[in-house]
Amino acid sequence: MVMNMDIAKKVIKAAIQQAQEMNRLCSVAVVDARGFLVALHRMDQALIPTVDIARDKAWTAAAFRMPSSDVGRFGDSSSPGYGFNTQNWNDRLTTIPGGLPIKDGDEVVGGVGVSGGTPEEDVTVCRAALDKVFASKA
Amino acid sequence: MEKITLEMAEKMLEVAERWAVLAGYPSSIAVVDEAGAVIAVHRMDGAGPMTTDISINKAFSAVYSGAPTLMLARLLDPRMTGKTIGSGGLGLLTQAKLRLMFIPGGNPIRDGEMKVIGGIGCSGIPDGVGEISDTTAVQAGYAAIYEEHD
Repeated sequence: MVMNMDIAKKVIKAAIQQAQEMNRLCSVAVVDARGFLVALHRMDQALIPTVDIARDKAWTAAAFRMPSSDVGRFGDSSSPGYGFNTQNWNDRLTTIPGGLPIKDGDEVVGGVGVSGGTPEEDVTVCRAALDKVFASKA
Repeated sequence: MEKITLEMAEKMLEVAERWAVLAGYPSSIAVVDEAGAVIAVHRMDGAGPMTTDISINKAFSAVYSGAPTLMLARLLDPRMTGKTIGSGGLGLLTQAKLRLMFIPGGNPIRDGEMKVIGGIGCSGIPDGVGEISDTTAVQAGYAAIYEEHD
């Protein structure tokens, strides 16, 4: 599976539906395997910063091939990876939960990022969207 | 003042995408609100990675300047040397944290009272190659909301 706009739109639609059920105003971003933005929607009245936060979460999930929340462990001062956050490779890095990689089997084909609720709610929205869209394939 | 909803934005994107398909160039199209903040962006299959940010920034620039980015492009046209270039036009280059685009393809969206309520930008269709350009696509997208409101 290769990420395309059709899949991206489906994921976003499912995520927004979930956010509406939870009564939250979110932005949802989907990136491809390289971390480049494919589609992004912001719900009416959702806050302006959610746009970039959602996009950053999606980038982080795709680039690290892990949930954006897991990336935080590299920043622990007791970890050998401490200091990675000061690297100059990209300013899109975030450790806020709410970004998940989109997987086809073991292969990461993209990432989805949600911003608007609490971090836990964002993860729930992400998870629900992925489950709904890829339920038939998983 | 009217607001652009996500639904209206999606409608605009859909129509603009149809024109990009007609032109034969996959593109990115973005719709922003009155604050220049993104409402929706789509990168069509096959469109280059940089087109997303360019389309967003074109839409932002249209809101920020209240004019099509075609007009911004005119300000820095080499033929304007000694006119707008030389009388401050270059000062625009560094505005808005370098987000201003001087490439045609971004238009402001106005309500019935001519207030700017948002912007739409397209990137991916080369200018002057065919009859359809980025500007054509965004104009078509813009027209889509009027069809609904008439």
